[in-house]
Amino acid sequence: MSDDEKFFAWLDGELGQAEAAEVEAKVAADPHLQQLAMQHRALAGALRDAFVPVLAAPIPERLQSAVRPGGNVIDFAAAKRSRTFPAAFQWAAMAATLAVGVLAGTLISRSAGGPVEAHAGKLYAAAGLDRALDAQLASVPSGDVRIGITFRDRAGAICRSFTAAAASGLACRDGDKWRVRGIFAAPEGQSSDYRMAAGMDPSLAALVDSTMAGEPFDATAERAARERGWR
Amino acid sequence: MDRTFEDELSALLPRLRRFAHALSRNAADADDLTQATIERALRSRSQWQPGTRLDSWTYRIMRNLWIDTARARSRRADREAPEGEGAAIGEDPRGAMDAAIDLKRIMAAMARLPDEQREIVALILVEGFGYREVSEMLDLPIGTVSSRLVRGRTALLAMVGER
Repeated sequence: MSDDEKFFAWLDGELGQAEAAEVEAKVAADPHLQQLAMQHRALAGALRDAFVPVLAAPIPERLQSAVRPGGNVIDFAAAKRSRTFPAAFQWAAMAATLAVGVLAGTLISRSAGGPVEAHAGKLYAAAGLDRALDAQLASVPSGDVRIGITFRDRAGAICRSFTAAAASGLACRDGDKWRVRGIFAAPEGQSSDYRMAAGMDPSLAALVDSTMAGEPFDATAERAARERGWR
Repeated sequence: MDRTFEDELSALLPRLRRFAHALSRNAADADDLTQATIERALRSRSQWQPGTRLDSWTYRIMRNLWIDTARARSRRADREAPEGEGAAIGEDPRGAMDAAIDLKRIMAAMARLPDEQREIVALILVEGFGYREVSEMLDLPIGTVSSRLVRGRTALLAMVGER
């Protein structure tokens, strides 16, 4: 491996402990290498960001149907059924477009008690959602809100993904509150079993992907973060 | 059981489109490639070993299809590099490495990378695979993966730094 390759392997977390320590020492002693590391980290981050719109775009129906060729059988009754319920195939797209717009009308409480409140143009978790974000661990689900993953964003704030009955979303620590960064409507009529099988809403996954710096917390880190008040 | 395979494939769609976009460099070709990949994956599902990563397996199918059907065409397109894209790259008067690198600029730079560097940059820096995973996926020695990655990201940085 050339020195260049070793440097980049180090940057990508591909080196073993001994070799990584060796490169790290070299970089620490060389301002030029430090700058190069910084530039390439920024480059990789920008490259990921550049692809977020592709990742978050609604999936065309033809691709959704390609995955489920049952929807394409040459059978009039079936063809008709599949046309009657196109929404079932487009739920990712629906979730993306419904996102905050519709939820602003349904979830944000005008009186106290709803799960999301607006203050000065920002959305914050309230009531049961706020309590769940504060107290709940992903490994110990309870109540109506399930916590997904916990991680830090690029500014160092702790973020947690959540799933509630009608929606899933992402909230990040802002002072002593949880600011809601995105919230996505669950498709109407979709059973919770299906949602669990399908995993994270693709729009939420894209948001998480573009927000996360480093790796998600494991159970120990999550618990420790709670003890420190999510600082 | 079958349902699970389709559900997992369905959950992969956004990422598959992202990789297809990196390979083909335009939305229409990306969706054609994604569709062909899904169809091939469904036909070949018996070759997938449960317990192994479905994403790596499907990406491999996509990359091989891309080579089979689109490479010749894209090579031609490379030789006739679109005027507009090249011209756009010099526009931004700011230093390339301030906090926000212009996203259009970086996509244009990505599109100018040679195929064999672009696919590796996409798999490792965008899709988040490890060197070893990519080496197995593309049937390339890990040293080749590593050296193409160095060349690709160095060229990218130089291109976004052009004034």
